[in-house]
This record gives sequence, C-alpha cells and structure tokens, in this order.
Amino acid sequence: MNSKSYKIKEKISDALELPKDITLDIPKISILGTDSVLIENHKGVISYCDNQIRVNTGCGVLTVSGQRLTIKSIIQEEIIITGNISNVSY
Amino acid sequence: MFILRLWNYFCGYAIIIIKGVKIERFINLAVVNGIYIWDIEKIDYTTIKAKINLKDFSKLRIIVRKTDSNIKIIEKCGVPFKMKTVKKRKWFFFGLGALFVFLYILSSYIWMIEIHGLKSLDEQAVMDNLNIAGLRIGISKRRIDKREIENSMLIKMQDLTWIGLEIKGTKAFVTIVEKGPEQQPISREDPCDIVAVKNGVIEKILILNGDGMVKDGDTVQKGQVLVSGTIIRGDLPNRYVHSMAEIHARTWYEEAEEIPFEQIEYKKTGKAFNTYAIEIIKKKYERNKKIPFEEYNKSHREMHLLNFGSYVFPIKLIITRYEELKPLDIRLNEDVAKARCEERLNARIKMQIPEDAVILGSKIEYFVNEKSVMGKIYVEALENIGTKAKIN
Repeated sequence: MNSKSYKIKEKISDALELPKDITLDIPKISILGTDSVLIENHKGVISYCDNQIRVNTGCGVLTVSGQRLTIKSIIQEEIIITGNISNVSY
Repeated sequence: MFILRLWNYFCGYAIIIIKGVKIERFINLAVVNGIYIWDIEKIDYTTIKAKINLKDFSKLRIIVRKTDSNIKIIEKCGVPFKMKTVKKRKWFFFGLGALFVFLYILSSYIWMIEIHGLKSLDEQAVMDNLNIAGLRIGISKRRIDKREIENSMLIKMQDLTWIGLEIKGTKAFVTIVEKGPEQQPISREDPCDIVAVKNGVIEKILILNGDGMVKDGDTVQKGQVLVSGTIIRGDLPNRYVHSMAEIHARTWYEEAEEIPFEQIEYKKTGKAFNTYAIEIIKKKYERNKKIPFEEYNKSHREMHLLNFGSYVFPIKLIITRYEELKPLDIRLNEDVAKARCEERLNARIKMQIPEDAVILGSKIEYFVNEKSVMGKIYVEALENIGTKAKIN
C-alpha cells in the first residue's frame, strides 16, 4: 500500500477527481442495514463458513462475520453477502 | 437483480450440492471462468448448496476435476423443465388453450337483449323490430352498426322519441323513450268552451265565436267558464260551437321573504384537505383520518382506475376534498337587508309569472322589527287567461 506507484496513482486520482475504487483497484463496500454487504472490486473468496466469510481485496482481507451467511450472488466484480451481519472488518 | 433472476428462470437452473475440501477455490474458479452461481449456502464444513444456470453446468466439469469435488443435482427449476411437464400433459394444456379461444369466440356475440324504458309498447313488438333492424340474439358484435339500428328503429316505430343502444360484454341494452300522450289540439270542428286558468279580473274580452259568460271588470275564479260553446236560444235546440276568444285579465302575484339581521357568512380560508378511499364492488375501504377543520365544504370526485374497452372494472378511487370555511358573524344594516330582500323577492316572483304576461306594476312592502326585515312583493300583471276545454 505504500509503494511509490500507489502514491502517484492516489495523487493523480485526487487531482483529477477520479473515483478511487476504479483507479486504485480498492474495494467499495456498501452495507445495507444488518442484512446485506455488497463488495465491489473483490479478489476472490478466501474462506467461507456459516458465520464468517473472508474475502480478498486490493487492500487486505475483508472479514464479514455474522450468522447464517450466504453468498447471494458472486461475479467477477462484485459479491453480495446476505444474512445476519454483525461485523465487517479488515 | 430481479431481471437477472427472471432470465435465469426462463433459461432454467439447477440446485446443486457441491462436496469437497477446497470449496472456496471452487467458487473462485467458477467466477473466473465466467460461471454465474448464486444463493450459495453452507450446509456443513465441506458441503455447499448453490444454484447454477443450465448452460453453465457443463463448464463445471473442469473445475470439479481441478478441485477434487463432487456435484449432485438435487432439483431442476425453470421454464425448460416446466415445459417437460407441459409436454407430458399435452392434452390438458391444449384444452386450456381451447377454453380461452372458445371464451373469446363466445364473448364476441350478443347473447342477451334487455329493453328498458317500456311503458305502453309491447316488448315483443320492439324485439321483433330490433331483429329486423339487425340486432338479434346470436349476432356477432362486429356486425352491429349502432347508429344504423337506432335510425332504422326510429323510422320504423313511430311511437319512439329516442332509442339508445349500448353493448356491454355479451349483453345489449336498449333504452327507449316513448312518445308521451300528446296534448291533442282541439280541432276547429269540435265544440269547446273557454275556461280561466287562474283567478283574475277581466280587463278586456274579445269574443270571436261562442257565448260570453263574463264581461269586462268581472272577477273570475280558476276553472270558471268564460266563453261557452253551448248556445242556448230560447226554444231552439242547443247548438254547440267551437268558441274562440281573446281574454285578457289582471292577475296578482305575491311572495314573502324574511332576512334576519344577524347572519353567519362562511368564507373560504384557502386551506384544503384531501382524503382518499377505494371502492371495490360497492365496498368502501378508507382510512379514518380526522378532518382538521371544524367547518368545511365537502366535495367528492370519483375515478375508475381500470377500463378495458367499454368494460369498467368496479374499482373506484374516491377523492374527498375538504375546504376549510371560517364563519363570520355579521350584522346587516337595514338598507343592505332590504336590498337583499328585494333581490330575492324579484328572483322568486319571476318564476311564477308566465313569460308573455305584461307586468303592470309591482310594490314591495317592508316590515322591520329588531331581528329581521320581512319583505312582501305584490305584482300586478296582464295576461291571457283563457284556455280551450272540450265539451263532452
């Protein structure tokens, strides 16, 4: 995350007001209440359990924990996790 | 998302169970290979349940081999599988289709004719004429030309004043208006009297035919014979003639009105409030909202929500509008009250006096007490009060 190219990219996108999630390849996470989490720009599922899903992203492993977690939909760019979500952390 | 689900349903999908140690790798590989899987659920440590598109199922084989897992289809859903059952029960669906076609064909014919507005005419006669005009049971709706049937009915049946034809579904409603019993004008040969239609004083009487029973200046009562068509001359036998006369008489009209000084006037404040209700087949569903005004003007508006051609679904939206009114207590002074009284009296007296009468004079009297003004109008008019009445 602290590499030179990353910093240059960040500065450029800041200057040009480009959305960072596209230029920097970092995830955009939308949480809808306690029911669903939408992760855009993910890099695959690392582990999948009933109460914890770990998703690889451009800036580390995102852990979503809760109960009865299901992957509602998964495609190359985004993943939707639904269930009783209690915790979303890096 | 919903569109995608619908698309998947049309293409067909399968619910599968995947068993293997490297489940996450299986999911990632599927995603990378462009296989859409959804509704992934963990069943136990090594097993997941997921849904997959029918087309993508064959692509899974490579991934299965790579990850050393097992797949089992537990259910097949979607249109392609439903079609299989349709094929199996071919005749049932054929019958269902035939039913709809049959219904459509049957509903394009007239099966019932209802006639409204009959008074003295014979229903069968009207029905027969309708049949000749082109409206009969079993005729296709497309072949009915309403205008032409209406016109030819009016020409054929002299007793009709108006006929309306309306087709609702498979029913034809015929509304007719019969000619009322006409006031037969008394022909010149028939003997008749002339009688007074109202009370009055004879101003001028001009007899062209018949015997005058009254003379100028006489006061006559309603119904009194003014000119007699029965001519009696001594011993000669009675002769009957068609009497003719111009009879002008003075008539009086009066009307009273009271205007209290204390009046409450309602003024619109401009605030309005709407409530909505839905009526489905005569049943009203509404939320009981409290009307925030004490005094209000209420107005209704109804709207039918669904129309299919000429068929109106019995679902109505009723909008009730409440407009706030503010009562103002006002006290009229005497002149204003009198002016208002006069205005009302004039309007009311006008209804009584026939149009061809000549108004000779009018007088308004006021009686004032502490609470109100009482007005009385007298109008004197000159008019023709004679009307012909047949001698039986």
